[in-house]
Amino acid sequence: MSVANTPVEQTTSTAVARHRARKHFFRRIEPALYISPAFLVLAAILIYPLGYSFWLSFHQWLLRSFRQGVPFIGIKNYLDLFTNPDFLNSLRITFTFVFFAVGIEFVLGMGLALLLNHDLHGKGMIRSLILLPMMCTNVVIGLTFRLLLNYQYGIVNYYLGAVGLHSIEWLSKPGVALPAVILVDVWNTTSFVALLLLAGLQSMPEEPFEAARIDGASAMQTFYYLTLPLLRPTILVALLWRLIDTFRIFDVIYLLTAGGPARATETVSIYVYRYGFQSFNLGFASAASFIMIAIMIGIAAVLARSIGRQEQ
Amino acid sequence: MLQPRQTRSIRMFLIYLVIILAVLLSIFPILYLLITSFKPADLTFAVPPVWIFHPTLQNYFDVFAGGTFNKYFMNSVIVALSTTAIALTLGSFAGYGFARFQFRGKTWMMLSSLIPQMLPPITIIVPLYVLFNSMKLIDTQLALIISYLTFSIPLSIWMMTGFFADVPPELEESAMIDGCTRMGAFFRVNLPIAAPGLAATAILSFIYCWNEFLYAVILTGRDARTLPVTITSFMTNKAILWGRIAASGSLILVPVLIFALLAQRYLVRGLSRGAVKG
Repeated sequence: MSVANTPVEQTTSTAVARHRARKHFFRRIEPALYISPAFLVLAAILIYPLGYSFWLSFHQWLLRSFRQGVPFIGIKNYLDLFTNPDFLNSLRITFTFVFFAVGIEFVLGMGLALLLNHDLHGKGMIRSLILLPMMCTNVVIGLTFRLLLNYQYGIVNYYLGAVGLHSIEWLSKPGVALPAVILVDVWNTTSFVALLLLAGLQSMPEEPFEAARIDGASAMQTFYYLTLPLLRPTILVALLWRLIDTFRIFDVIYLLTAGGPARATETVSIYVYRYGFQSFNLGFASAASFIMIAIMIGIAAVLARSIGRQEQ
Repeated sequence: MLQPRQTRSIRMFLIYLVIILAVLLSIFPILYLLITSFKPADLTFAVPPVWIFHPTLQNYFDVFAGGTFNKYFMNSVIVALSTTAIALTLGSFAGYGFARFQFRGKTWMMLSSLIPQMLPPITIIVPLYVLFNSMKLIDTQLALIISYLTFSIPLSIWMMTGFFADVPPELEESAMIDGCTRMGAFFRVNLPIAAPGLAATAILSFIYCWNEFLYAVILTGRDARTLPVTITSFMTNKAILWGRIAASGSLILVPVLIFALLAQRYLVRGLSRGAVKG
């Protein structure tokens, strides 16, 4: 028999094994030590509001009757919403807004990013100045544009008149208000898209582009077959951020038009605000919120999938 | 026929032209607000617009006249700073965790950390109001800080993940071989190297809190009101006091714009990195 089997040796080896097991266990939970505090705090803040809101969405909570009780009404709030023309209108407005705002921002942002990707004098300065709109307080932006777009006194209409064009009722005519609000959002966030895409452009490898040039590819071909596919990850991330932000937009619209005229700019957020804080129909407002959350998570999941797939 | 050098310089000229146009469009509304804030009241809506005038500080005196503007300014500062400090601490640890460790379901966890940021504030504000009301927290800075954590923590995680992924792991590995614990290496190696990223994240989080309106307008009243709510109080039923709006608007924007200019490079990198790497 070897020496290793003496009792003393045996205990040491189990101790080592136990130590190793403990170390292994620690390794496995180590990431959680770093990550969980943030998640726990978020959960602690959000679990009650989300739960209560979910509960409310199946109940009838009205300001005039809630003291007598809040009856359970099943999915009636949800059913009512889908036959409520104002809600359907707000969905339509939101999707129109998101589609055009994000679309225009990406076309302009891509153009701007490609231009900024040249060796320019004062690059840092240019980028800083272009970044300013996205940093501005939305409330201030809303008010500033109300000043600029004022029908009677605004300078935009004044200079339109000066070059011989008609004044436009930017914020008070139903057909014009939505494009105007989209325009303000485009002003506000095109720079964000542009700078994000620019960062993507600058982190691209150079070799494929040299090869393309040697092979005599045209600028369009290079853009379509090289730049766009290589830029895909950045585009997806930018898209994710922009969709999240435009879908829930509230303050700019609230200050520009408050959803008017005649609900022409009433997005879902404004609609929920109206039901929650003006008519105090909380059950109804909560149900609308949950439909909104569901749509948003749906969109985000699709994008997250493509982002995740890319990483593998 | 143009020489290649000539076509090149014409091209560069056009590029500069478009870019300068974009820059002017970006800053014009901001400049206009600043200019309006120094205009005497009777010129605010002068037609045709007046560009040359005797600047006056009257609008700024009017804004500070009630004595409450300073208080609301401090509210904004305190809420934004406290939120940012908490979010940055939690977000740095989580970001480091995501950047350094490999584990199952990581991508999904990273993306789910963004869910709170996706929640439209309008959807959780009713229950938050009810909750804070029962805890006697309505119209306190604490209520705002708690609400703002819902978006500033996800933002911090997202950005810090990217910045920690940029720190080469070899550095902390050698520190750990020299006897540092991982936590020690985190503080002594990773944090100092990621400091610019940390600063950029802090600035962005500060700006988001500083700019927030919806939570503030619903959860605060006389005491804890922040600046974006204050500025809307110059829109009364009788009249919109544009001079005061322009002056207070400029005061709100100035700190934000300075921060943005300082951190421009890292802000953009931080936002774009998070998902692509890590």
